[in-house]
Amino acid sequence: MNGGVKPKRPLGLAGFAATIGVTMLVGGLAGAGSALFGEQPGAVGLAITVAMISAAMAVGFAACIWWWRGIDEAAREAHKWAWWWGGSGGLAVGGVLLLTVMIRADTQPLPAGVGSSPADIFISGMMAVVLFQLAGYALAWAGWWLKHR
Amino acid sequence: MNNRLKVLRAERNWSQADLADQLGVSRQTVNALETGRYDPSLPLAFRIAKVFGQPIESIFTED
Repeated sequence: MNGGVKPKRPLGLAGFAATIGVTMLVGGLAGAGSALFGEQPGAVGLAITVAMISAAMAVGFAACIWWWRGIDEAAREAHKWAWWWGGSGGLAVGGVLLLTVMIRADTQPLPAGVGSSPADIFISGMMAVVLFQLAGYALAWAGWWLKHR
Repeated sequence: MNNRLKVLRAERNWSQADLADQLGVSRQTVNALETGRYDPSLPLAFRIAKVFGQPIESIFTED
C-alpha cells in the first residue's frame, strides 16, 4: 500500500451522534439557564435570555462545523443535495399548508395545539416549516444514498 | 464517467474498507465510486491516482 501519511478516517455515525448530543446538551443547559436566570423583569432578563440562546446557537454551529469538516466529500454532497431539494421541497409543502391555513383562518378554526396568542401562532408556524424541511431533508438524504450505493 | 477502481483494488487484494482508509473516505463512498454512481472531486481523484500509482486518465475515462 502507499507509504504516505495515512489520511484521517471520516466521521461516521458516532461523530454525528456526538454532534447532536453536544448540541442538545448545550441547548438544554441554555434553556435551563434562561428559565433560572432570565425570568427577571426588564432588560436584564431579556439580555440573559438572548445571551443564553446565542451561546447555545454558537456552540451548536461550532459543533456542526467540526462535524462538516470531518465527513468525506460524498457525505457532504449528499447533505448539500438533500438540503437543497429536500429542504426546498419540504418548504414548498409546508408553505402551501401554512398559507392555506392563514387564508382560511377567518372561517376555519386553527388546528389544535397551535396556540392562541400571536407569539404562539408565530412559533408554531415557524416550527411547522422547519419540521417539513427536516422531513424533506431526511427523505432526500436517504434517497441520495440509495441512488448512489 | 467510467473507472477501473474495482479492478485495481482487486489486483491488490484490498477490501473497500482498506481503500477507504487510504483515501480518507468512508467505505460507502468507495462503493459509490466503484459503481460509477459518484464522480470524485479533482483532489480525491488525485489521491486515488497516488494510492494506485497511476495517472488519473488511466483510472478514469469518459462515458
